[in-house]
Amino acid sequence: MKKHAPTRFLALGLSAALLAGLLSGCRFGFASDPDDPNEVEEVEPIDTSVDTFEYDQSLSGTSITLLNSKAEIQTALVEMGEVFEEKSGVHVEVMPVTDGDSPYTKVVSLYNSGNPPTLSILDTTDVIALAEEKAADLSDQPWIQEAEGYTTQINGKVYSFPLCIEGRGIIYHKEVIEETLGETFDPSTIRTQDDFVALLDRLVAAGMEHPVSLAMEDWSLGAHHLQYIYETYDGTSDGAAECINRIKDGQLDLTTYDRMSQFLDMFDILKKYNVAYRDPLGADYDEMVIDLADGKTAFWFNGNWAWPNLAEADAEEDDEYGFLPYFLNNDPDDFVNQQIQASPSKQIMLDGIVATEKEQAAAKEFLNWIVFSEIGQQMLVKTCKIIPPFQNNPYEPSDPLSRDIYSRVHEGTAFNASAIVPNDHWSVLGAALQKYLADRSDRAELIDSIVAYWDEQQ
Amino acid sequence: MNNTTIGGNKRKLANALAMIGMIIIFIAYMFPFIMVVINSLKEKRDIITDPFSWLFTIKGLSFDNFVKAFTQMDFLNAFKNSLIVTVSATVLVTLLSAMLAYYIVRRNNIISKIAFALMVASMIIPFQAIMIPLVSIYGGTLNVLNHRITLIFMHTGFSMAMSVFMFHGFIKGNIPIALEEAAYIDGCTHRQTFFKIVFPLLKPIIATMVILNSLAFWNDYLLPSLVLTDKELLTLPLSTYSFYGTYSADYGTIMAGLLLCVIPILILYVILQKQIIGGVVSGAVK
Amino acid sequence: MKRKSGGKDFCGFALPGLFCFAAVVIVPFIYGIYLTLTDWNGVSTEKNFIGGANFLSVLKDSQFWSSLLLTFKYVVVVVVVVNILAFAIAYLLTRGFKGQNFFRAGFFTPNLIGGLVLGYIWQFVFSRVFVGIGEATGWELFGASWLSDPTLAFVALVIVSVWQLSGYMILIYVAGFMGLNKDVMEAASIDGATGWTKLRHIILPLMMSSITICLFLTLSRAFMVYDVNLSLTAGAPYGTTEMAAMHVYEKAFTSRQFGVGQAEALILFVIVAIISGIQVYLTKKREVDA
Repeated sequence: MKKHAPTRFLALGLSAALLAGLLSGCRFGFASDPDDPNEVEEVEPIDTSVDTFEYDQSLSGTSITLLNSKAEIQTALVEMGEVFEEKSGVHVEVMPVTDGDSPYTKVVSLYNSGNPPTLSILDTTDVIALAEEKAADLSDQPWIQEAEGYTTQINGKVYSFPLCIEGRGIIYHKEVIEETLGETFDPSTIRTQDDFVALLDRLVAAGMEHPVSLAMEDWSLGAHHLQYIYETYDGTSDGAAECINRIKDGQLDLTTYDRMSQFLDMFDILKKYNVAYRDPLGADYDEMVIDLADGKTAFWFNGNWAWPNLAEADAEEDDEYGFLPYFLNNDPDDFVNQQIQASPSKQIMLDGIVATEKEQAAAKEFLNWIVFSEIGQQMLVKTCKIIPPFQNNPYEPSDPLSRDIYSRVHEGTAFNASAIVPNDHWSVLGAALQKYLADRSDRAELIDSIVAYWDEQQ
Repeated sequence: MNNTTIGGNKRKLANALAMIGMIIIFIAYMFPFIMVVINSLKEKRDIITDPFSWLFTIKGLSFDNFVKAFTQMDFLNAFKNSLIVTVSATVLVTLLSAMLAYYIVRRNNIISKIAFALMVASMIIPFQAIMIPLVSIYGGTLNVLNHRITLIFMHTGFSMAMSVFMFHGFIKGNIPIALEEAAYIDGCTHRQTFFKIVFPLLKPIIATMVILNSLAFWNDYLLPSLVLTDKELLTLPLSTYSFYGTYSADYGTIMAGLLLCVIPILILYVILQKQIIGGVVSGAVK
Repeated sequence: MKRKSGGKDFCGFALPGLFCFAAVVIVPFIYGIYLTLTDWNGVSTEKNFIGGANFLSVLKDSQFWSSLLLTFKYVVVVVVVVNILAFAIAYLLTRGFKGQNFFRAGFFTPNLIGGLVLGYIWQFVFSRVFVGIGEATGWELFGASWLSDPTLAFVALVIVSVWQLSGYMILIYVAGFMGLNKDVMEAASIDGATGWTKLRHIILPLMMSSITICLFLTLSRAFMVYDVNLSLTAGAPYGTTEMAAMHVYEKAFTSRQFGVGQAEALILFVIVAIISGIQVYLTKKREVDA
């Protein structure tokens, strides 16, 4: 029997340690500790005293489901559903899609199981793939007027509700730049690629050897970097679509297309000043967050969705972060050097096949409630921390990245272009750009793979 | 054994070397698990900047991750669901597969041969290939998704092939037919012979299969995620979803959640180890 | 079993298990085969019969064949290393030395870590611990993250798979060793069989059923490798470590070519079935009945 002692000790020890942790945690853990850096989620109060939204009483008691593919707002959506239920009597069950499952796979399997969600939060490409087959027509909904310019039309009809605006560019950390250079930094003085390089060189001279963080993930490279070549065609979604069609048809030669070479010029700059220059494919996303927050780097190419990560790395909401454009050339009048890209990203689609009329009506009420009720408006911005694509929403986002996008959208220094590309674009061409990033391929090979990719899509 | 000869000394040396080699390999095997334990007690920032640091030197050592995991997972309810599904499916598959394997070994007829061949072949079907057909049949046609019984049934079916394969090998290699013949002479029925004579002799392999199967059921994510959508029914792995973000994950909570999930399996393993040892067939037939 | 009452035995012993198995595995699989012959995209309500068109597309999918080639390389290495390692460790763990249960519990831990945590921990090992060692020692091998070099990322995949799979196989080999007839072993020792002779002529033949099982399991699992592939490298760097199963999944769901993905899964299945069929046939022949 003595023989078993070590094993038992191991198991007992482990269990005891964990249990002790639980118990002590239960006793002390729930009290909010002001010094605890773990608590990033400070809840902004929602004022529920004013509510002029008219609820349809006949829908009370209906139950709808919402498939959520935006993991970071899962708890916020649940909360929002609860408040909506309190007011309208409609129950909203929020179902998550987890990392590893793509939202599309999940929706497909749910449709196959005969139990699709009433509402699904999806990417625009997914909506386009599914809409005409499965979705309910939302073209007559009142919120459409408030979302002017942000709806997606498929053959003249609107099948989806734009949930949020997301923008991307070169994130800067103002305080770090100022401390390093010993002078004030005004982002509006950086107006061309050369200005940007000059700034980088000064930072290097001041001791910050590699001021840029550059993510190596294929979604960042394939979707967020490379899609600039379509989106900067003329700065509109239609232009992006035209650009793609011309590439497919062979009318637009990528070897001579100016945006292609300009894009690569900018990419080469980021590559050169990359903090992970020794091993660019070994860069770690979570480390980049901390590097930027701690001031090891001053720039990070990413979007406003990165804020929760920065907040976890102890960035505060009154810290000064913002976006620089993805400079493509040295013409200060070119819109790409003045504006950053911002467009609706996640879409909500309503099932028109399995959902009953009552469920559809309840789902439509929920969407209108988000746009028109005082509570829905507040919760979209304050609870979900989303930049609303609706003109009538008076609330402003609170974190610096979203604030920057928000004010740029309102000042007109953001361009709303989103390229609709096939779903595997980011993974296939992301891999091609990874190869380029690691210096394992040259411009010609990269362009060849882009051309080959579009050839296959015929 | 007599180790005083020169050969014995050599052997001692070889043993010592083997032992040292094993300790090194052992540490390498344990390393990831130790990392999980250490880092489950840290804040995310410390995990990323300093994942290696020993507990005592870290200011943020805390059980907060466990508290957070415990509450966010709705641990007790998820634990109950996992327990019901895992125990039922494990009992079911152990029993059914042992019987089926016994039939296949002792009845070498055409049905046995076909069934065994099919099962062996089925073990290499990629799950992705039957995922969509499976949900269309059970959801679209039969409409029985979102029930625990469906999940238990599916777990049983999916692990049947591998369990039969394991029992088959063990029965064929380790269970002497002479024992059963003796039982028949004593007037036992097939059922009695199986449950009174054969089943007890299967102890080591049963213990192994119980560990392997319950481990698989307990930790499975993909199948339950297809079958269960009702919040009340979610199993432990499904309930950790909220720790995963789109771009980055809440590593501390995930690791704490992982540990909370695996403690029962670890305990089960330690208990069953004795069974594996106690169940040696040695000397059953003299 | 005696020969009489065969039907009753079948119903009592074989039928319940067979039913579960057929209902969950065989029926959906056959339905899946049917789907490869249609143009169904996974969602639409219409399914048109298109014959072998999906299989023709598979022939043209060069990515699939190169991922298959890579998978072959991977399988050979993993199967050999896992089985030698697991066999040796299980052998040492069943010799009755003091504290062996403690060791067994340790070797069990790879089974406890799955999913994203597995990927995270090992990414950390390859891109941080190794690089740390490289900086401290100046060894070029550890100069950069293994995961950013195609060859080393492949090696990393093999290492993690070996770690994970051998943790599983040790359990089975341990059960096999514990089931060995002690009398035979003692008799062999008394007869003067030691070391290699004992291993080759006594232990190996008696362990053949465990070896059959473990070889088969490692073979099929290595061919189907998906979780480790996804969580550790996700095909990176630039798609060079994408194995067959991951490619199939990507094809069906990321590229949205459901029929082609399904057809590729079927082809993968046939290949693995043939190879493991041969393996089981060969090793089963060497098994000895007790």
